[in-house]
Amino acid sequence: MNNKFKYLLTALLGAALLVSGCGSDAGKTAKEEGKVFHYGTMAYGPAMQNASTDPHDTYCGWSTIRYGVGETLFKFDNEMNVQPWLAESYEQIDDHTLKIKLRDDITFSNGKQVTGDAVKACLEDLIRRNDRAPHDLKINQITADGQTVTIHSSEKVPALIHYLADPYSAIIDMEAGIKDRIAVGTGPYVAVKVTDQGMELKKNDQYWGQTKPKLDKIVVRSITDGDSLSMAMQSGELDAVQGLPYASLPNFQDTGRYTISSTATSRVYQAAMNFQTPALQDNRVRKAIAMALDKDTFVNVLLNGNGVAATGAFPNTMPYGRGLNGPGYDPEQAKTLLKEAGYTGTNSDGYVTKDGQPLTLRWLTYTSRQELPLLAEYAQSALKDIGIKLDVNATDNYKDFLKRGEYDIYAQAIVTAPTGDPEYYLMSKIYSGQPYNNGNYSNPRTDAMIDELHNTFDAGKRIELARQIQQQVLDDNAVWYASFLKMNIVMKKNVTGFSAHPCDYYEITPELDIQ
Amino acid sequence: MRSSKRNRFYFFLSLILLILVLSLLADYIMPFGPYDQNLSMALRPPDSVHWLGTDRYGRDMLSRTLSGARTTVCTALAVALAASSFGAFIGLICGYHKGKATTLLLRLTDVFLAFPSMVFAIAVAGILGGGTFNAAAAIAAVAWPKYTRLVRNQVLPLHHEYYIEAARMSGFSPLKILLVQILPEIIGPVLITAALDIGTIITEIAGLSFLGLGAAPPAAEWGSMMSGARNLLQTAPWTIFVPGAAIFITVAIFQLFADSLRDLADSKTPR
Repeated sequence: MNNKFKYLLTALLGAALLVSGCGSDAGKTAKEEGKVFHYGTMAYGPAMQNASTDPHDTYCGWSTIRYGVGETLFKFDNEMNVQPWLAESYEQIDDHTLKIKLRDDITFSNGKQVTGDAVKACLEDLIRRNDRAPHDLKINQITADGQTVTIHSSEKVPALIHYLADPYSAIIDMEAGIKDRIAVGTGPYVAVKVTDQGMELKKNDQYWGQTKPKLDKIVVRSITDGDSLSMAMQSGELDAVQGLPYASLPNFQDTGRYTISSTATSRVYQAAMNFQTPALQDNRVRKAIAMALDKDTFVNVLLNGNGVAATGAFPNTMPYGRGLNGPGYDPEQAKTLLKEAGYTGTNSDGYVTKDGQPLTLRWLTYTSRQELPLLAEYAQSALKDIGIKLDVNATDNYKDFLKRGEYDIYAQAIVTAPTGDPEYYLMSKIYSGQPYNNGNYSNPRTDAMIDELHNTFDAGKRIELARQIQQQVLDDNAVWYASFLKMNIVMKKNVTGFSAHPCDYYEITPELDIQ
Repeated sequence: MRSSKRNRFYFFLSLILLILVLSLLADYIMPFGPYDQNLSMALRPPDSVHWLGTDRYGRDMLSRTLSGARTTVCTALAVALAASSFGAFIGLICGYHKGKATTLLLRLTDVFLAFPSMVFAIAVAGILGGGTFNAAAAIAAVAWPKYTRLVRNQVLPLHHEYYIEAARMSGFSPLKILLVQILPEIIGPVLITAALDIGTIITEIAGLSFLGLGAAPPAAEWGSMMSGARNLLQTAPWTIFVPGAAIFITVAIFQLFADSLRDLADSKTPR
């Protein structure tokens, strides 16, 4: 082979590689399948424990609800208030008894009517098979009579109707059973094929709602790599995507071609201070840390504005997330606080010292939420400015470190109000001695208020209590709240009736359409 | 012909010296601190202030790349030195002395050579845990056996040369024979192999860091910088192209240098 030929061949090969990298959406012909909607998501798959439409299996209910297969007795509106859905009304008979009246015009996708008996059978299967539901619902007995269902709880459960709106409470036909991960629900779409990689849905021709489903077929594809998802959307393979990395969003700024729908969810990025750490037992040190970190810059720059700076544990789209006061960004004040706390010296690296010892803290976090390593790296630099040395440990073995107590600050992302009710978060993350109270925070006043919340049915009173508890947590600087995740859905311009909902599990609805 | 080969050699040698000088003096010539965040300047494309742009924390890419040069190049040189001297030493012994122990050692090198080196390095780095030192150790642990093979095969034919016999009869200790009589004879190919290896080692270090098994953020290391900027490829391409180009250029220079060194050595000893 002579040299010229070699160069020519190399050049050709290079050109071929370049061209093959730039796919285009031209030349695709829609088959005569009617309206087909291709949906790419990062939130589906065995790793998320939701690769099925059987709502009673771990977190699979999220898929049942998300993709329009099933519906719950109650649902959340955009402010996360509970509204009836399959239920028509409910009545709290006494502290332990809830009577629910069902609508009488609802059928499963196989044509069978949804009756009290069907709901009873479904809920009984739920508490038999699901790992979280029995603990949440505390159901003692269910009785059915025509279109009414009465639930008797074993103890007071003020948030019962919230739990009945949790995806695991999706109502499915137990007589039809679950075959190949396909459950028969009441939703606008029917699952046809469900695999680890995604699912295929078709229109439910017998849908009971006023708005009838408009698409003939929906293909849900699990794409867990952000860049692949972004490229699939850019090439036109997909009509809409959920969960794109923030860094990819600028690719879809062209409003002539794409629509981006986003909303703040109750997934909060928070850092819990470990009260077992001697240095962090001083509130001035904890406050200094809180004041050294600038939430607005974190959100605007590192998250490209795709987040909402947080004050407390709940976003201000929810009533109990409003009216709170936390320490603001003020690094000078933070330095003063450290001095007051006895950190008066400075070592050769520029870190503050107390009795000659530099203030070094271990920041534990994990990487599966892409924003957490960003937060860690930002915190490391920001705390250095006030003289605190941060050793970042971003590991997916974080559970081992939690177990061994080898951390001073634990940063994580957590959904604080999955069912629109504040009690779950406050009870599991703030109450003394709870296994998920990673900061080992304990304040009898806070505990007493959480106990009171647990025994209060009145909605207004619950909101007030939830606020007071969070304010106490903020005054104690036990947890630093960075920001709330903004969930985004990017869709082609011709997609209508699709928007992001604050609770993260209402995605495909009968309104969804392609123009 | 000789002189053009020599010119080529000196040309690449000077480029290598330039890289070494740049990486050793990085601290003095960097325009900004490689770890200084300035979020108000985040993701700026290359301009007159930040010649190579900034990353998402507003850190200067040029400073980080220069600082990364020291980490990467010095580590690669150290690994090449450690692996080649250790491997060569074992090779000398295996070539000179025949026995059960050396046979065992040789079989051990076969085991090492049978593995794809990167896979093996990932396994070793995974067991040792993250960190630049551990990544270097993992790569060195994988790189040494080929030197053992090379040196042993060179030593074997020398075994019965008269001057070796003579040295032995004069009462030289085996160690002295190995180091004084044999080593100078075989050092050439070892040096060339080591020079050729440096490029591979740089990509391996960067590769391990890219996978999160080497240098960890916020360390300014080329592989880890590329990994951190992965999802900015479409929106801020310079954040990934700059460290990528640094790896490409450095590896190419070391590779071409090793090539020219080999050509020069070949022409000196015509066969």
